[in-house]
Amino acid sequence: MSDNARTALVIGRISALCLFGLAVTYGVGGASIEYAFSSDPLGPRVVPVALALILGLLCVFYVRSPGTAEAFPSGRLLWRVLAIPLVLVFCVAVFETAGFAISIFLLTLGTGLIFGAPLGYAAAGAAGHAALWWFIFSYLLQVYLPTGTLFG
Amino acid sequence: MNLDYLWHGFTVALTGQNLLVGLIGCFIGTLVGALPAIGPINGIALLLPIAYTMGLPAESTMILLSAIYCGAEYGGRISSILLNVPGDAGAVMTALDGYPMARQGRAGEALTLSGISSFVGGIFGSIGLARFAPVLARLAIGFGPAEYFVLMVFAFATLGSMVGSQPVKTLIGCTLGLMLATVGLDATSGAYRFTFNQPELGDGIEFVVLVIGLFSISEALVILEHQGRGFTVIRELGRMTVRAADVARCTGTMLRSSVIGFVVGVLPGTGASVSSAIAYTTEKRLSDTEDTFGKGDVRGLAAPEAANNATACGAFVPMLTLGIPGSGTTAVMLGALMLYNIQPGPMLLTERPEIVGGLVASLFIGNFLLLLLNLPLVNIFARVLTVPNWLLVPGILVLSIVGVYSTHASVFAIFLMLGIGMVGWLLRKAGFDMAPIILGFVLGHVMEINLRNALAISGGELSILFSSTICIVLWVMAAAVAVLPTMLSWRSRRLKMARATRMPAIDGAPRLD
Repeated sequence: MSDNARTALVIGRISALCLFGLAVTYGVGGASIEYAFSSDPLGPRVVPVALALILGLLCVFYVRSPGTAEAFPSGRLLWRVLAIPLVLVFCVAVFETAGFAISIFLLTLGTGLIFGAPLGYAAAGAAGHAALWWFIFSYLLQVYLPTGTLFG
Repeated sequence: MNLDYLWHGFTVALTGQNLLVGLIGCFIGTLVGALPAIGPINGIALLLPIAYTMGLPAESTMILLSAIYCGAEYGGRISSILLNVPGDAGAVMTALDGYPMARQGRAGEALTLSGISSFVGGIFGSIGLARFAPVLARLAIGFGPAEYFVLMVFAFATLGSMVGSQPVKTLIGCTLGLMLATVGLDATSGAYRFTFNQPELGDGIEFVVLVIGLFSISEALVILEHQGRGFTVIRELGRMTVRAADVARCTGTMLRSSVIGFVVGVLPGTGASVSSAIAYTTEKRLSDTEDTFGKGDVRGLAAPEAANNATACGAFVPMLTLGIPGSGTTAVMLGALMLYNIQPGPMLLTERPEIVGGLVASLFIGNFLLLLLNLPLVNIFARVLTVPNWLLVPGILVLSIVGVYSTHASVFAIFLMLGIGMVGWLLRKAGFDMAPIILGFVLGHVMEINLRNALAISGGELSILFSSTICIVLWVMAAAVAVLPTMLSWRSRRLKMARATRMPAIDGAPRLD
């Protein structure tokens, strides 16, 4: 068996298990939906339960033929990939308190660095992004964006 | 055939605002298509919240989004030809002959010819859409809830059997989309489903949040993984004209591929990747007498380009007339219509002719604009390929965040988008396509409502789903598209085996295996 096929098999099995778990959880959740009255014969439970059954069944086929999959990154690349959501979560968490300009500057600086830009380039790019998007959204499109406690 | 709606559409599309919107859409679409990372769905997903918050009327938004869609189909060829990396799924086949042409110093010729092929496909598709949309809409007026439900089953069956080589994953994607559509308040019974006591989920998962999360956020991670693979842009474009002999050689190819593209586009759930592959292989079978395909044959370049543009127009037929998207991108556009509280379907043509007519007319105008933009400005679009990822990806992320914030003014929505993006990335690693999830999500609510309405009418009798001729025809078609590909591949395997066992007896040669 080639490396690609082995990777696909492993990823396929893990994914199928996760999806099967999701199907069970979703099905149980669907079966326990509470409602006071119903004006239709089907009610709000049947479709979720049916979908859970379909997903469970499809997972069985998925385990048997996992198809193609891509290997997960490892080493330094994995850390870089994981760093992106971390930067995003941090910047979104401070979005309203720090304001649009600061949070977007941090976001674009962080992701620029993760994508391999030199610090000076990343900082200049980040300042440019923050200014450009602020101008486009706040002035041209008149979209409300938080200014943050520092500027507000 | 009554084409009054089209003339009305031209009066809508030719207003100053809509012409400007269309031109901007064509330009952005070509840029988006030229960038290998983004593609039409991402472009539309990112621009949709902006269009919505700008307060554009529904018809202008649809014109903008359709211009982006068609522009991306044009632009996708640029990176295929100059970089050997398709700008979107529809341009995969373009690289097969486009890149060899570019390596032979004929990049400019390839770009011009593919622009002309795209134009032919786009115009042919627009004519098809204009003529067939009213016919299908008239047919669909007889559809009740049961027929609609079965039609959606047919759409999923088509999708599962025709898109990609992994039907199980496609169907799992559809199911996940259907499951996501059940989140929120059930309007019929008043029950909250899968909201985890979060008031923000009461109205369900917002379309913009899902589409931006699945496409843009996961794309950023994919770009990071794939960067540094050493793609080199071909900078010498050569002459930008195309020989008349080459155009004459490709004329039949363009017309045949346009027909294939349009027909495939009309089928629910299939997209440009399928049509361009079919057009290319058809042309190869018909014309490749000297084994030149894959080595820079102009017909191998013209076929997928004409097909994918015709598909883009064909995909609007089921979307506008039946409310069933013909492709992943039209699924996003269907969601966009729903944001405006417009339910696509057979009545849309009579109730909102300005939307259908405006969109169809703008496709005609857009194709001319795209040809005018693409031939002289191709150098500028080619330069986009040199924008570094460290500058491009942060821009995509900012647009994603601000796009969601501007429509929902809620940090919860942004976090939800990030979570969906991470799950989307995991699914993409496992080989799942994102388009079926969107298709399932968009159709999920309508499908459930129609099923429940049908059963309410019949007093709970499932026989209503088989009671009309339309239902039975649709069930048969659904069964046929689900089973036929498997039967055909089984038959071809058997034929191959039979031929292999017979071969020594026929030619007397010893078998090499």
